[in-house]
Amino acid sequence: MRIGVFVCQCGTNIAGTVATDKVAEAALSMRDVLHAETLQYTCSDPGQRAIIDAVQKKGLTRVVIAACSPRMHETTFRRTIGQAGMNAYMMEMVNIREHCSWIHSDIDIATDKAIDLVQKGVARVRRQVPLYSTTVPVTRRVLVIGGGVAGIQAALDIADSGLPVTLVERGPTIGGNMARLDKTFPTLDCSSCILTPRMVEAKQHENIRLMVNAEIEQVRGYIGNFEVDVRKKATCVIEDKCTGCMICQEKCPGKAPDEFNAGVGQSKAISIPFPQAVPMVAALRKEYCRQFINGKCGVCKKVCPADAVDYEQVDEITTEMFGAVVVATGYELYDWREAYPDYGGGQYPDVVTSLQYERMLSASGPTAGHVQRPSDGAEPKQVVFVSCVGSRDESVGRPLCCSVGCMYIAKQAILTKEHIPDSQSYVFYIDIRATGKGYEEFTRRAQKEFGAIYLRGRVGKIYPSNGQLVVMGTDTLSGGPVEIEADLVVLATGFSAARGAGELARKLNISYDQYEFLSESHPKLRPVETTTGGIFLAGACQAPKDIPDSVAQASAAAAKVIGLLSRGEIETSPMVAAVDQLRCIGCFKCRDVCPYNAIEALELRDGRQVAKVIDTLCQGCGVCNVACPPSVVSLKGYTDNQLIAETMELLR
Amino acid sequence: MNDDSRKVSAAINAPAAAEPGRNAYSYFPGCSLTGSAGEYDASFRLTSEALGIRLDEISDWNCCGASPAPHHWSGNLGVLLPARNLHIAGDGHEAMVAPCAGCYNRLKNAQHELTGSEELREQAARVLEEPVRYEIEILNLVELFAREVSPEALAERVQGRLAGLNLATYYGCLLTRPAKIMNFDNHRNPVSMKPLLRATGAQSDHFPFKSECCGSYMGLAKKEIVLRASRRVIEVAAGLGFDAIVTACPLCHQNLDLRQGQINKAFGTSLDMPVLYYSQVLGLALGLGSDDLGIDAHAISARKLLAKIGKGAGGPAAATSLKPEANQSTPASIGTIPAAGS
Amino acid sequence: MAELKLIGFLCNWCSYAGADMAGTARMKQPGELRIIRLPCTGRVNPLLILKAFQQGADGVLVSGCHPGDCHYNEGNYYARRRLELLSRMLPAFGIEPERFHFTWVSASEGARWADVVTQFTRKIEAMGKMSGAEQGTPPAKASCEAGVGAPDEQTGSEDAVPA
Ligand SMILES: Cc1cc2nc3c(=O)[nH]c(=O)nc-3n(C[C@H](O)[C@H](O)[C@H](O)COP(=O)(O)OP(=O)(O)OC[C@H]3O[C@@H](n4cnc5c(N)ncnc54)[C@H](O)[C@@H]3O)c2cc1C
Ligand code: SF4
Ligand code: SF4
Ligand code: FES
Repeated sequence: MRIGVFVCQCGTNIAGTVATDKVAEAALSMRDVLHAETLQYTCSDPGQRAIIDAVQKKGLTRVVIAACSPRMHETTFRRTIGQAGMNAYMMEMVNIREHCSWIHSDIDIATDKAIDLVQKGVARVRRQVPLYSTTVPVTRRVLVIGGGVAGIQAALDIADSGLPVTLVERGPTIGGNMARLDKTFPTLDCSSCILTPRMVEAKQHENIRLMVNAEIEQVRGYIGNFEVDVRKKATCVIEDKCTGCMICQEKCPGKAPDEFNAGVGQSKAISIPFPQAVPMVAALRKEYCRQFINGKCGVCKKVCPADAVDYEQVDEITTEMFGAVVVATGYELYDWREAYPDYGGGQYPDVVTSLQYERMLSASGPTAGHVQRPSDGAEPKQVVFVSCVGSRDESVGRPLCCSVGCMYIAKQAILTKEHIPDSQSYVFYIDIRATGKGYEEFTRRAQKEFGAIYLRGRVGKIYPSNGQLVVMGTDTLSGGPVEIEADLVVLATGFSAARGAGELARKLNISYDQYEFLSESHPKLRPVETTTGGIFLAGACQAPKDIPDSVAQASAAAAKVIGLLSRGEIETSPMVAAVDQLRCIGCFKCRDVCPYNAIEALELRDGRQVAKVIDTLCQGCGVCNVACPPSVVSLKGYTDNQLIAETMELLR
Repeated sequence: MNDDSRKVSAAINAPAAAEPGRNAYSYFPGCSLTGSAGEYDASFRLTSEALGIRLDEISDWNCCGASPAPHHWSGNLGVLLPARNLHIAGDGHEAMVAPCAGCYNRLKNAQHELTGSEELREQAARVLEEPVRYEIEILNLVELFAREVSPEALAERVQGRLAGLNLATYYGCLLTRPAKIMNFDNHRNPVSMKPLLRATGAQSDHFPFKSECCGSYMGLAKKEIVLRASRRVIEVAAGLGFDAIVTACPLCHQNLDLRQGQINKAFGTSLDMPVLYYSQVLGLALGLGSDDLGIDAHAISARKLLAKIGKGAGGPAAATSLKPEANQSTPASIGTIPAAGS
Repeated sequence: MAELKLIGFLCNWCSYAGADMAGTARMKQPGELRIIRLPCTGRVNPLLILKAFQQGADGVLVSGCHPGDCHYNEGNYYARRRLELLSRMLPAFGIEPERFHFTWVSASEGARWADVVTQFTRKIEAMGKMSGAEQGTPPAKASCEAGVGAPDEQTGSEDAVPA
């Protein structure tokens, strides 16, 4: 056995705290190590070449690389030694950066630890055998979950490449939150004008199948072959028959909240959310429908000229295979009411959220673009914007920034002035965060051209007085309290993940943070991947984002999906479990514990039943390895022998 | 909609202790209630009596330690003085009540500090000449009534006597802050008074200034601050159409009631907002007389408000426990005492 | 006092990544702990932990994904059941159960990881090294060898591994 050890200095990242030459020197005295050297940047081209050289010149059969985290560069170095002609798995990385040089300041402590870790790596690699990955064919069909601008963009990009896409949206229409916006910063182009054509395109695309009123029920399988159950919820309207004439909505006597308009205005029990909805199909909400509440109505069924209403409709579950999934479930506005009693906790009608205001400004909104305050319908002259409600506020447990609030406030202040020329806007802000292209200029315009008065400070209290609202805050620049009598107060409420995002993530087996925003695999280098292969993220479901960023991420996710599926088949990890069938006693404890049903029974010629691992299903968790009473299931790459050797080595 | 009611009912039902003798409380009046806030003491005693709550005044209680003076003499007097009160309050009682928000706040703080510091406990033991007992539960008056009186039973008994009034609840700062130590109600939106006030038949709309500063003890050092702060509280209450402000703190009461005339003089306003103690309002609802409750002693007359109170509604007040749960099933009576004073 | 020997078994997906994050954020930690990387806490064999103690570990830390977050869905539930049992059995082997700690640290909880390491190291420091009498008591030795010690067929014994 001929082992080579390479100790990375990582510039001074490692060498600053770890005496790398001492580590290399110590390595030379370890069993079977016949080559050790330090390298300045092992991952760089010269670094990798040095490894290949050493392998070839000295005939190394195993390699230990002491450098950064294997989560960072394991794949890189596997490729390197593969290029050197070795089996890619005959390499072991030990982490002397994240787990050593970066967390210690004492050189002796860090160096000792690094030597221990190398020793552990050598012990482990000595027990490593070559592993070979296999390939499985992939399903060349893609699932996109969430039909906001991000989901639409991803679906279109993927569909354009020729792959069939199923776009699953749980609401009655695609478009997401962008469909609710009036104009968009920083160019002030009309949101519907740019979004609706894309919605229609998605509907008409030959490779896209739209499923609205649908949600993910269950997900099985793994990268390349996910088996997904989709629940199509009963809407009491037969989608193919409905022509979108809206007669049912007109005649329906059942009042219902208007979700599309963020609660501004009223809707009906059977309705189409807005005139540009895609698909243009009505949906009935049973909780508001008289037919379902007291069995007396049936108006919509009677008036529908297309005979599309069917009260007996039930949920339908369909199952389909997909090679990859893009999650684009977006965001919802944070419900501020409980946390901000000082702003009235939702009791003052003239304190509205930014999205409600967006609907009040919109020409297609319930007031047809005439800004009217909710309490009495009067046109507000003094409008106060309060930023960071439920954002950047530790006291309510929401330290995160919503990333678009500063921008849309500036936009809404501008639009306010355009709608009501004799109005005055005030903006309470903490900092103005305007980092995008043209953004800073935009917020300046709001102040200079449209006269919005910006006050740097938080609002402490809002209370009603003489038919107006008094907004009490501080202006930290002039250093004193300020009070403004407002006709309308707009709260820039923060972003929350879409309701149920965590639950969906658990079904997909991807991670999410404490706010249920879905986690990317690496914040810098793998921003659209998740930790589960084949599942990608796009848009505000990952973190608060504006439209340009959502669209960019969607296209990036699409590129990843296309890349993945263009290969037709994918390599599976060879680090799977294997059963020593000679010694298997056929108890099937392994099969009972396997989370992936990757173990089946096999009958040997002598009639004995033994366990067999299905390589393509095994994900390599190792649960079976521990469960096996005679210890004959073994996880390749993490065998008992390897783990014991590592442990023993550290305790010598 | 504000979900005040949900939170409060949780608070009321929380420690519903059924054991007998639990509705006898050790009573710490403190200096305010024996002096300038005598009507707070009187109304608290009468109302408690009418509700079947026994108050056993701690004999030989001393200064609660809240007044700034002790702090100047010695850094630790602010803990050692209340420590002695806590020590002697425990005799035969599991809980004590301190109606003055300042006392309540100091006692709770001292308890917190004693819990966290062995050194302080040792100091206290040296002064007391025995190991200090400081674990007794400390209640404020709002908390006590919330625990002992169920809104349904009260409503049943007072038959909407205060219907027609809209009462602004004013908590000030001391009852709820610092939130982690006081551990009483939601410090940003306290709501504990509301259920019982509504049970009296009165209306009690959201008062946005319920925990705004009244100016506190700045009245001595910089009177303008108090006048400005209290003016706002009163003006907002008046603007929102409240008939009275209800408080549970003698200092708040002093600033809002006694200084209302000074405010009017200083700012040329003509505020005329009665400020009542919570115990007075409950007493009124129970049919006790306004003179016995000390309402007539206030600087701002409550005459208009009293005139509004529905005449004849509700029977005479009987000393009856209206405790949530515990007494609900049994006929709710712990003996009858003639309605005090009326 | 001789240096403490502390071993940490970390799952690759959450805790190992969390420890990486603590490193990236340069969060200083005591230097005694040595980390062994595993795919999942479901791969942690309780007997391996016993073996570690028997071989002189002064403390063993296992850390994985939070319940519900395991990369393999259920691995950490198996780990929880197995390790809870182990923890109850430790006194029978003459090992103070406090020397063993099982916790969850997610990939984003760098600060929490640093805290876990610091607290654990301080605790074991206060307890001191394992006394000699505790090591290698016969029951521990016997069962370890019966369990994890069995030769591993995928690799054979180490010397059977191709060079
Ligand atoms: C008041 C306001 C003004 C704004 N103005 C601007 C602006 O001017 N310019 C700009 O760039 N950005 C603006 N933004 C930000 C913009 O709204 C977002 O960047 C954008 O909508 C994000 O798109 P998305 O597709 O990621 O998410 P979304 O628009 O939220 O779409 C997500 C979709 O997924 C669906 N969904 C959710 N969960 C599920 C599930 N479990 N299954 C199936 N479907 C699901 C939802 O129903 C929704 O249709 C504004 C935001 C606000 C609040
Ligand atoms: S049945 Fe009646 S109430 Fe229900 S959706 Fe149809 S018209 Fe509306
Ligand atoms: S390692 Fe074992 S338990 Fe885990 S997925 Fe593979 S076969 Fe199933
Ligand atoms: S992968 Fe972390 S505990 Fe299973």
